[in-house]
This record gives sequence, structure tokens and C-alpha cells, in this order.
Amino acid sequence: MPMRVARIFFAILPFLSGFVACKKVVQVDLNNAAPQIVIEGEVTDMPGPYQVKISKTVPFGSGNNFPPVNGAIVRITDSTTGFTSALLENDSSGIYRTNAFVGQHGHTYLLSVNSEGMSYAASSAMPAAVRLDSVNFVRNLDLNNKPAINAVANFQDPPGPGNKYQFTEFVNGVQVPQIFVFEDRLSDGRYIRNTLYNDTVRLHQNDTVLVRMNCIDRNIYDYFFTLLQISGNGNFQSASPANPNSNLSNGALGYFSAHTVSQKSLVVY
Amino acid sequence: MLRIFLLILCCFPVCLQAQTFTVSGTIRDKRTGEVLIGASAILLEMPRSGMTSNSYGFYSLSARPGNYTLVVSFTGYRADTLKIVLDRDIRLPVGLIAGGTELQEVVISSIRRNDNVTRPLMGVQKLSTSDIRNVPVIFGEKDVLKTIQLLPGIQAAGDGNSGFFVRGGGADQNLILLDEATVYNPSHLLGFFSTFNSDAIKDITVYKGGMPAEYGGRLSSVVDIKMNDGNNKEDHFGGGIGLISTRLNAEGPIVKDKGSFSISGRRTYADLFLRLSPDSNINSNSLYFYDLNVKANYKLNERNRFYLSGYFGRDALSFGGAFGIDYGNATGTARWNHVFNSRLFSNTSFIYSDYSYKIKINSNNNDIDITSDIRDLDLKEDLQYYVNTGNKIDFGFNAIRHAISPGVITASATSSFNSLRIQDKYSLENAAYISHEWSPGKVHLNYGLRLSAFYVLGPGNFYTYDAAGNAVDTAHYRSGQLVTSYFDPEPRFSMSYTLNDEASFKWAYDRNVQVLHLLSNSTSANPTDLWLPSSNIVRPGIADQVSIGYYRNFHDNQYEFSAETYYKAMKNQIDYKNGAQLIANENVESQLLFGKGRAYGLELFIKKKAGKLTGWISYTLSRTELQIDGVNEGKWYPARQDRTHDISIVGIYQANKKWTLSATWVYYTGNAVTFPSGKYRVNDQTAFYYTERNAYRMPAYHRMDVAATLLGKTKRRFGSSWTFSVYNLYGRENAYSIVFQDDPADSSKTQAIQYALFRFVPSVTYNFKF
Repeated sequence: MPMRVARIFFAILPFLSGFVACKKVVQVDLNNAAPQIVIEGEVTDMPGPYQVKISKTVPFGSGNNFPPVNGAIVRITDSTTGFTSALLENDSSGIYRTNAFVGQHGHTYLLSVNSEGMSYAASSAMPAAVRLDSVNFVRNLDLNNKPAINAVANFQDPPGPGNKYQFTEFVNGVQVPQIFVFEDRLSDGRYIRNTLYNDTVRLHQNDTVLVRMNCIDRNIYDYFFTLLQISGNGNFQSASPANPNSNLSNGALGYFSAHTVSQKSLVVY
Repeated sequence: MLRIFLLILCCFPVCLQAQTFTVSGTIRDKRTGEVLIGASAILLEMPRSGMTSNSYGFYSLSARPGNYTLVVSFTGYRADTLKIVLDRDIRLPVGLIAGGTELQEVVISSIRRNDNVTRPLMGVQKLSTSDIRNVPVIFGEKDVLKTIQLLPGIQAAGDGNSGFFVRGGGADQNLILLDEATVYNPSHLLGFFSTFNSDAIKDITVYKGGMPAEYGGRLSSVVDIKMNDGNNKEDHFGGGIGLISTRLNAEGPIVKDKGSFSISGRRTYADLFLRLSPDSNINSNSLYFYDLNVKANYKLNERNRFYLSGYFGRDALSFGGAFGIDYGNATGTARWNHVFNSRLFSNTSFIYSDYSYKIKINSNNNDIDITSDIRDLDLKEDLQYYVNTGNKIDFGFNAIRHAISPGVITASATSSFNSLRIQDKYSLENAAYISHEWSPGKVHLNYGLRLSAFYVLGPGNFYTYDAAGNAVDTAHYRSGQLVTSYFDPEPRFSMSYTLNDEASFKWAYDRNVQVLHLLSNSTSANPTDLWLPSSNIVRPGIADQVSIGYYRNFHDNQYEFSAETYYKAMKNQIDYKNGAQLIANENVESQLLFGKGRAYGLELFIKKKAGKLTGWISYTLSRTELQIDGVNEGKWYPARQDRTHDISIVGIYQANKKWTLSATWVYYTGNAVTFPSGKYRVNDQTAFYYTERNAYRMPAYHRMDVAATLLGKTKRRFGSSWTFSVYNLYGRENAYSIVFQDDPADSSKTQAIQYALFRFVPSVTYNFKF
């Protein structure tokens, strides 16, 4: 919510003068940090297999081709039952898959990755499930004062603080490149109508929209909340950007999340 | 308290001479009755007797019995020479006439306008209203806080912004006083305008270091702004119409020669343009601010005078009915000047200050109000004791009660949010001070001590946190119960050593303590930034500063030159954890990181004060660094406002009686910023990889502004002027921000986009008075 407020301030700014901000592409001389490992993994309450993607950072000036990390030893362990799954790499894609099992609510999962002589670990506890009740659409003004259609995720937050949610929106099968998170810090036990303010992909009538709601643990909320702060597209950016707070050890970028999944698909009306 | 002071007084080397008499009184503008602050008074027969009038125009000079010549002078006024026979204490009010050529008419070599050289104060900058009137500003909206940014050591917070940083300190480390009342948010419209309507302002003094002991509470600077008292001879009206706002003011006597009032108001009308828009989405937005300054004073008799002053300003922004915020300050000051005797002047003030905001959100079933405010009640007593020639003691105390409501959320039944009240925070900020200004020969000293005491009071829960920020212990305190307290002595010392009438060396050391901290993790001033008092977790910030300077005047004091260097060490500085939740958070203190800072630099300043062409050049070479546990692996890094070079050139040319031309040019090194050093893919998006904090620089900033003022013919009482100006004359696209993103045209690439705000902003303003 405060993020949204700040965005609106910046959006109003140009009206002050009529001297709207000038915008241009510039060349910035940036350092090239040594390649860093990026790990992105999940376990859900939907039937597996689950996957862990491992890749590397590239310099800013390179194309958006992120080299996969091959030959890593990847394991996911259910620390509640002691069950371990050794993941197998799919060709040389940097994508590692578990065998088929189903993540359990309340269980804590451990990820371990060994690659190029380094080892990385993370743990994530799968929260109790909250069902996505319904999705509807509202018409709002976007940041440029144009009417826009946004999806609203409706659900009942269970009593007791600490529930964290992450949403993913797909429009006609394509994921909207935007981060949506919600926590019940100020909303404990309410019926939540969370508008997914979509500033990147416009919704039109008859589009098919899939909204996926994940219940995530505190660390993963923290990860996506801090990732959101550095991924402000357009004219909003954090005053002092920093890498998101990851639950991975040893300086690896990315996250490992055990979360629930509840989703609804419908056609924009 | 009084007893302690008398005791301390005895310790000062106050050389009481036998049998002296005193001439004292108030120095005013003869035509308007407005008191003159900082006018100089001297007994010609005693060249070292010179002093300047205080904030209420009061002066006091003591000498052995005899015949003397009293000379009173003030910049922009004709000096006055009075023969006096000092055979008893004399009360002598002095009226000066504005205009004329100041000193040339009184050809007395011993009077020199060299206060800047001889006075022990360092790091002090005063701006005259004529400087403010003539310097070009964006949208033609005269603004004291933008004009002071042209002085050395004072940096603009950004393009067109009224926020500023002094010698590397944060924007919240400036104590901004309007008739003694703290103004907590000195800006309108996200920082683009200051809350100070220049029509209402008489005097502005900025202290960058060597603060007199009467000031305290902020680490970096004091900006002391005084409002006009109003004409006590006859009624006058004035106003102006500009690109952004319309201003109106009125002043006049309440009882002729005894009391006067002054009222100034202004309102912007950007929203009126919005309303003209045929687009219903735009014309339902609102965006405006207004402010009102009111002041009245009344002289009961020669010994007692009362003042009442107030400020009220508000911003209102709303966005299509779904979102709105209004915010602003309200201050009030009631003062009583009392002259105990010709040597002892007292002022007692009772001050109220309030800053509040209210957010309304009404969209998609969410009907929510969020409010927050900070309220101060302040009792302040200042006394000045004029012992004898070149020997003055200032002492006093103040007691401020802060009440802060960090946030109240009121939500409707259908809302996704709960109603919530974050507990109010109460505290007492007390201080007592004494300082002595003394001039034994070539050395001029000003030394003193300020004792500050801060008490955190209940009611409320106070938490302690583990390293991860979880509350591990809660202590409950009753209403008025003491939670914790901090005592800090703040020594203040400054001295000048005059080499001759035109040159001096100065040296100063001062410590400042700040008990209120502004929590703000956005790039610009945000109306929802929260003031947080020191507590069991957050300790008061402490800054120690030493400065050394060389002052030199040339050409019969027509040119002033100064070079100052400073080193400032700051303790208990605040930063934020990554992803800190500052809004509506009962545990906001768990979101903070603490560390220290250091700032050092060299400031060069040359000013031409007389002639057709006036103006100044200022250059600052500086460095500001922070070291915060949990940021940048605990290593020192440049503060965002660290600027290596900062140059301002100001020229004002009085072409003839009708035309005044002016121009400014500024250049500064870009802010220290954090840019990515790599990129990766996560959550099906491109994300950027960051290494060191603030290791990159924004492009250098530079800009030229020009203005021309045409003075209309004065018919009877009616006078008018037109001011034409262009901001950013050569249209440089100064980078406001640089953002990194996927190329919208080619998602296989990323790009850097630079945003710039203001290029070629012309404006015209019409001013009138009658």
C-alpha cells in the first residue's frame, strides 16, 4: 500500500508543471561483477515433480541470456519426515527435477546445492493452505490517468498474524512480469480483496486471466518484498537499491520456497 | 534554575567596571516601525564598543559618564548619528530611513561594515530580502530555502527542490524555525516549494556550524526565519500574481506607533488548470497548497511588548477520488519582550507546533483513512545581559513536550484492513544554556554550554529486539512514567582573532545533539515520513564539528571573502534494513540500523556587496561518508548527498532605476548512487545485481537561470513590478533518476533510462503594493 502511494505521488508530479519529465536512453559505464550463482527452487502442495533452476549473472551490457549451471548436486529434504529427493538435471538446461512427491503443509523443506566446489543451502516451511475464494475485475485509473482493468483476488485471511501471500498473474497464458505480495500485518482475519495493480500488461475484455495465489513463509515474503523494491519499472526506484533478502546461504542469489497453490482462471468481462 | 545561573554567572570572567551608564533602546525602520535585526550600534569615542541589535531590535551600550556620539547603521539604510550625554542610563529608540548610500554620508573612518570579520561566529550566512527578491527561481516563486542553496556548504536536494543538506548532514538534521516555532515539514508539493511565503519574511539566518548555545536539537544547521512585524504607521496592501500562485498581504497599525499586524496569504492554482481539462479523469484530480502567515505585536510600554505570530499551511492532493492526501504545518508563537533594565533584556515565548497528514483511500471496497501527527508545546526563556563594552551574556532554557501519533488507521467494515492505532509517543526535550560573548582586544570569543535532557515517557509498551528484529521483551509503562532519559552537555566555542580591520582568523568547535529522527527511505521529501523520538532502542544523534576559517574584506568592505574548512563526526546515525516497513509499524525501531558518519570540506566564498553589480561566488569541496552496521558489509561508503564539487555563481545587476537583471549558475558533482553491476533472471523477470553501496555517480548537474525585474512608476502610493525569468536557460537535461529495465522494444536486452525534470521553464510574475 505505501508503495502504491509513492507511485501515485510520482505519477502526479508532471502535472505540476506541464513540463513533463524528459526521458531518454543513456549509456552508463557499469562495473562487471564476477558471475554469481542464482538458484530458484520450489516445493508446492500440488503433485510434483518440482524443479530448481540454477544459472549465473551476466554483465549489464550483455544480452538477456543467462548461462545455466550444469552438473550441480541438488537435493531437497523433507526435514519433518527425513525423506530426501536427489534432483536430476534435464539435459544441460540448468533445470533440476525431483522425483514425484507431494509437498505437505507444515513441513519444512531443505534445499542443498553443491556446484563448482561451493555448497548452498536454504530451508522453507510450507504454511497452511488458504483458498483463493474468487477473482473479479475492477476498472481503475492507471498511473497515466487512463482507465485500466485490474484483477482482484478475494480470500479469507485466517485469524492469527503471520500469513503472507504471493500472487502470479497470467494473461492468455503469459506471466505478467510483475511482483505481487500481500501480508496480513495490517489485515489479520479480514476478508481480503487484493487488487493486482498491473502496470505492465493491459487487460482487455475476453482475455483469459489466471490468478495463482501462494501462501509463502516469512522469508519468502521478505525476498519478494525486497525484490519488488528494486524492480520498480518506469519512473519509480528505490533510494538505495540492494540485493533482495535471500533465504539461501553463502551469498547465492534467488530463493527456495515451499508454498501452497490455489488458483482461478476466468475471462475478463 | 535561576540560582544555578547566578552561580554560573559568577564563574564567568565578567569584569564589572565602576560607574558606567547605559544607552539602550530599539532600532526600527523610521517609516514602517519594523524593528531592525542585526543593525549595528557604536559609540564613536569607543571604537570597540560596537554591537548589533538582537532579534527584537534591542541594543544596549555602556560607558563611563561623558559625551558620546552614537552611530547606528544597517545595510540598505542611511546611518544615523546622535550626540548623547551619558550622565545616567538613557533609553533611546532609534529610527533609520531606508535607502540612500548607507555610510558615505557619514564619513567616519572608524565605522566599518566588518562584522563578518570581527564577530566570532563562524559558518553563519545571512540573506537579505533583496537577495531573495532578485535571485531567479523556478516558476518565479521566490523561495528562501532555494536561495540559501546558493551559499557554500548548503546543497540542493534535487532539481527544483526546496530541500537541502548542510555540510553533509541529512535533510532532517536542519532545525527550521519560523518565529521560533519548529517547522517539521518545510515543503509543499513533494519538496518543490518551501512553506515560507517570502512576502511574510523579514530575516533569515543560517548557521552551518558554531551554533550559538540558544539553539539545539538538530545536528547540521539552524535556519532561523523571522516574520515581518507589520507597519505601525499606516495601512499597506500588496500582492502578486505568478505562474503558480497568487499572493496577497496586508499590514498596518493596530494602535499607531504602538502595535501593528501583518497578514500574508498565498494559494497555488495548478488544480484550476486541471479542472479546465476536458478529460474527466484529470479534472477530478486536485493538487494545490495554501499558506497563511499572521503576526501582531503591541507595545504596552517602553519595557513590555507582546507578539503573536502564526502560520498555517496545507497541501491537498487527490487522485480521481480513489486516493487523497492532505498535510501541513500549523505553528503559533506568543512572546513577551521585557526590558528588566537597560542591560537586561528578556524574551519569554510559548510555542505550539503541529504537523499532520491524512490519507484517504477509497477504492474497490477499501475505505480507509490514515492519519498521523506530531505536536509540540514549548516554553522558552531567553535573556541577554549586556555587561559592558564587548561583554554580553546570553542564558535561558526551554522545555518542549512532544506528542507523536505515528499512525491511526480507520477502516470500513468491507475494507481489507483492520482499524489500528499505533501507540502515541510522549517525550520531553529540555535544555538550559549560557554563553558569553567577550572581546578582549584582538580576540573575540563566544563560548558557552547547552545542557540538554531528554525524557521518554509512558504510557505505552516498549520493546527490546533480537538481532533478527523480533520483539523479545515487552515492558509496559504507565502514563507519565519515565522510560529512559538522556543527558548531553553540548559545548559551543567560537573565536576570532583579528589581524587588522579587514582580516581575521576564526576557530570553532561545537557539539549538537538530535533527539528526534526522521524516518524516510524515499529519494524525495515524502509527506508521510515519520518523526521518531529517541527511545530505549534509538539513541540521540551526536555531531562534533571543528572549523577553521580565514576572513578578509577588500575595498573598504565592499568585497567579503571567506575560506572555511570543517570536519564533522556524527554518531548514532540511522539507516534502514533492506525492505524496512516504516509505515504503521508498532515495531518500527526493529527496522533500523545504526552507525556513524563523517563529513569534511572546504568552503570558499566571495561576495560583492556594493555597486551596480552585486553577487557572490561560492565553491564547496567536500566529502560525506557513512558507516552503518549491516550496510555495505560494514565498510565506509559515500552518503547519497556526498558531492565533491559544488559551485554557485550569483550576479545581480542594477541596470538603471527601472531594470534589475540577475543570473545564477550552479554546478555540482552528481549524487552517489547504487547502480547494478550485473543482472540475472528470477521469477521470470530480469533482476539486477548490486555490489557496493553508492559506488556510482549520477551525471554532474549544471544549470543557468536568468531574471529581469521591471519596476513600474510609483503613482501616489501605488507601486508595481514585473519579473520575467527563465529556469534552466540552456535546457540541460539534468538527470533526476536513472532506472534500469528490459528494453521494451527488444526483451533480449536491457537499457538504462534517464529521467530529467525541468528544462526551459519561463515564468512571469506581477507584484503590486499600495
